[in-house]
Amino acid sequence: MRRNVAIIGCGQTKHSSKRRDVNLAEMVSEAVYNALEDAQVSPRDVDAFVVGNMQGFGGIAQPEQWLGDSIGAPGKSVIRIATGGTTGGSVGQGAYYTVASGLHDVAVAVAWEKHSDSKEAGATTGLLHVGLGNFFHAASYGLSLKNLVATSAVGAAAGVAVYQAMFYMYRSGCSIEHFDMVAAKARRNAAKNKYAHLQWPGCTQEDIAKTEMVVYPFRYGHICPASDGASAIVVAEENLARKKARQPAWFKGLAAYSDEENQLQSENFGGVGVLDPSEQKGCWMSATKAYEMAGIKDPKKEIDIAEVYQPFPSQELIFAERLGLFDEGTAWMALEKGETDIDGRMPLDPSGGVNATNAIGSTALQRILECALQIMGKAEEHQVPRKVHNAVAHGWGGVTSYITVTVLGDSPGR
Amino acid sequence: MKSKSEIVEVKALPFAAGFNWSTGFQMQRFIQELANRKILGAKCPECGYTYVPPRSRCGKCYTKIGEENLINLSGKGTLVGYTTAYVKLDGQGNFQDLEEPGIIGAIKLENADSTIFMPLEGIKPRDVTEGLKVEVQWREETKGELADIRCFKPT
Repeated sequence: MRRNVAIIGCGQTKHSSKRRDVNLAEMVSEAVYNALEDAQVSPRDVDAFVVGNMQGFGGIAQPEQWLGDSIGAPGKSVIRIATGGTTGGSVGQGAYYTVASGLHDVAVAVAWEKHSDSKEAGATTGLLHVGLGNFFHAASYGLSLKNLVATSAVGAAAGVAVYQAMFYMYRSGCSIEHFDMVAAKARRNAAKNKYAHLQWPGCTQEDIAKTEMVVYPFRYGHICPASDGASAIVVAEENLARKKARQPAWFKGLAAYSDEENQLQSENFGGVGVLDPSEQKGCWMSATKAYEMAGIKDPKKEIDIAEVYQPFPSQELIFAERLGLFDEGTAWMALEKGETDIDGRMPLDPSGGVNATNAIGSTALQRILECALQIMGKAEEHQVPRKVHNAVAHGWGGVTSYITVTVLGDSPGR
Repeated sequence: MKSKSEIVEVKALPFAAGFNWSTGFQMQRFIQELANRKILGAKCPECGYTYVPPRSRCGKCYTKIGEENLINLSGKGTLVGYTTAYVKLDGQGNFQDLEEPGIIGAIKLENADSTIFMPLEGIKPRDVTEGLKVEVQWREETKGELADIRCFKPT
């Protein structure tokens, strides 16, 4: 029998391109201690840590080994989880399992990325590093290593997302202007979030449309930054949660699925895996399972806000549909009507999302954290204007096919 | 035994991954002060535990340790453990015999609680014992680099 579990505190660092003033351990500890302070929990009261960043990123193979001392982990249970871009989602869910199982009463989930520790720009070094692991394996199928690197690592996640976006445009009838609208909204929302990276108050669709084309259909203004930063949540069992937090953010349902829609099996292998990379069946499966656990029958009516993992604007539209928030191929119409704005009917990424802030390993944990802030009423300037009862947090990554979906609510729901 | 067709040979990678880690403000001061032949430790303002090299958060009592908590250490200390190495790696994945065995000591500096690991010279392996009093040896020209500390020798 699983226990009721809630988030009782959230902490982040300010996100920026370069945090050269701190080392990795110091940066991560900022987020942890901010979260503990927000939860009014002493480090002594924490039983367990679940931590993670992208495997291989930052060039430190076992970062948890040397930052443990800095986050108060000595003598406590520590687990590191690395599931690619979804890492933060898995780390958040890991903290849930730790407490729901009854094994521990208070757990801290913390995730991070420090891109500036890499010599090359953005996430290049990290991706090449990860690439090594995956590409040697791919090479054993007889594929040229150089081609593989060129098509997927150097193109980074964009190399995957362009095909996905093209399929979605064809299928739904949306156009590149809708991607301009999503990106402008992300930067406008980020301007209201003091921890966000790319902040652009009053950014318009036209502002984004003026930026140069990088790889069709993505313009420079569509693409997420590479951020340094960390995010942490404090997760507690029911009694402590009720004592510590005026409004805890309860875990109501969660799931994580993957399907064969895999970078190494789709476009890079001539499309043997799936035909439509925007199908994202793993997201649909995760959402279905998480809603079932949460007792949510009609997400369109019962979900109040969503934090969708959208490093590229097309993904906000694709995944919002896969999360059951809009009918197939219609999210862009809701976007046009302003329904996905902070004050809209179904706000998507009121924080600005991954499109504005992208410390890769922590991005999916940030989605959970941002949903918690909205439920707890602590989102400050980007708080949505109405009471949030249920929120859904999404993560996308792995080798582009692994999905986490986490449903939070203002009551435990059972 | 694998047949040849099962093996994909990779002769060279089309890229190299480089890193550029930031050290943090405490470690930065530590490295800079080596140029002045000074070894800095960080003393926790709460529990007094002293770390060398310095750090910014106490692993014992979780207290924040600031730049104001840096203290000068004498460079003298006590050997608390050691090992003797007889081979080194040649950079090609092979072992090479050392001309002279090398001693690596775990050294607790005066007024510090943590230990540092450094080469120990000026003593034969058979004469080394725990509790030996040792002292830092600087390289001729100190530049504010970790390599400024050449080794330790018995006092």
